[in-house]
Amino acid sequence: MLLPALELTKVSKDFGRIIALRNIDLTIQSGEFVSILGRNGAGKTTLLNIISGVSKPSSGLVELYGGDPADTENKSKLAVISHEVFLYNNLTATENLEYYASIYGVKDAEQRIKDVLQSVELMHRRFDLVGTFSRGMTQRLTIARALLHEPSLLLLDEPFTGLDQLAIGILISLLRKQKELGRTILLTTHDLHTAKELSQRYLILEKHRILHDGLMADTNPDEIRQKYFSSDRSGE
Amino acid sequence: MRAALSILKKDLRMEFRSKDSILSMWIFSLLIFVIFNFTFEVSRLVMLEIAPGLLWVAFIFSGMFGLNHAFAVEKENGNLRSMALMPVDGGQVYLGKFMSVTLIMLLFESLIFPIFIIFYDLQLSFQMFLLIPVILAGTIGFTSLGTILSAVAVHTRDQQILLSLLLWPLVSPIIIWSVNLTGMVIGGDITQGFYPLLTRVIAFDVIFFAVSFMLFEFILED
Repeated sequence: MLLPALELTKVSKDFGRIIALRNIDLTIQSGEFVSILGRNGAGKTTLLNIISGVSKPSSGLVELYGGDPADTENKSKLAVISHEVFLYNNLTATENLEYYASIYGVKDAEQRIKDVLQSVELMHRRFDLVGTFSRGMTQRLTIARALLHEPSLLLLDEPFTGLDQLAIGILISLLRKQKELGRTILLTTHDLHTAKELSQRYLILEKHRILHDGLMADTNPDEIRQKYFSSDRSGE
Repeated sequence: MRAALSILKKDLRMEFRSKDSILSMWIFSLLIFVIFNFTFEVSRLVMLEIAPGLLWVAFIFSGMFGLNHAFAVEKENGNLRSMALMPVDGGQVYLGKFMSVTLIMLLFESLIFPIFIIFYDLQLSFQMFLLIPVILAGTIGFTSLGTILSAVAVHTRDQQILLSLLLWPLVSPIIIWSVNLTGMVIGGDITQGFYPLLTRVIAFDVIFFAVSFMLFEFILED
């Protein structure tokens, strides 16, 4: 039987007296596109931090491709896109990507850098400092940076925040392509429409636990909206 | 090693483009030399007594700029988190940052040292070459510990204060011994105690480096 991409068993996380996650059980198969919905403070970012190995759970077990998320081999399989762009303002777009290509051991880096820059429509700005980029352009370069090493698992933490329409369009089309390529994708978002459009499965995280886990195809948008907003009210 | 070299290359590229650290360090040291040179009217003999301390005051205070800057650029745009996500050991990240901080500081020291010789009218002799291992050992001790503590302090609001509070007590022995060694070289007084003292500084360097290399993984964790 094929190993799941991700398996969380009774995962809890607290920061002193503050509880961030409580008894999360979750299995995600390779190639699944899962949207995680939940209001601010529900624990979405903490969950992604634990999955990416940046943060350790207070209790419970996390397995990424059958191993520890903090293992270097597993880390090379994942990429994170969040509101933090992970880029250096004082380097050009190409220099930033060269740096990451070298860290991730990307083969034929020069060609790969050209390919990802073209995919985010930034070839014309490749020799400009990132500090001179608009927010949308920076986020597009972030997408290029994340896809550079062709990760098997993409963790997207509210990636549409602050994006212009062009960048949103590019990101959506790139995510569709990644989905077609069989990549496993986890997306946290408040945008129900985009979540419904892109993902096969959704989770609603509320009060630090998973409140709903369902398939998009089996649920109509109004039902998701109702669940989402009822969980929103219940948290207040 | 590939990751450490990539981090070094990236840091040097950014530093040579902005010259943020080198310039601030150089100007600060120049200011120290100018002020002390023109404030005290002392004999050459007394000046020779003071000079080693002044040189290390300039190196260390300016070095603090470099240390604070080293991880401030990583904090920008969440790059510290991206380092935690990299598929490399924390030790590799430490090594890369340590090499860049040390090289930038050594470069600054080589730029400010001729000014120090001119201001304090020191005579160049073959013996002065002994300052190379002294400065190298003192600087490595300072940066090996400073790099990891800078990474700890960058997570806090009062980064500069915390870095000073953590670093000074631990690095003081190395600085004091480096001042003593520099005094011996400048004063032309290479006694039997010179080499054992230099060995002691190098031994501390090795300990500080090894401990920092092993612990850095935990610093990157959330």
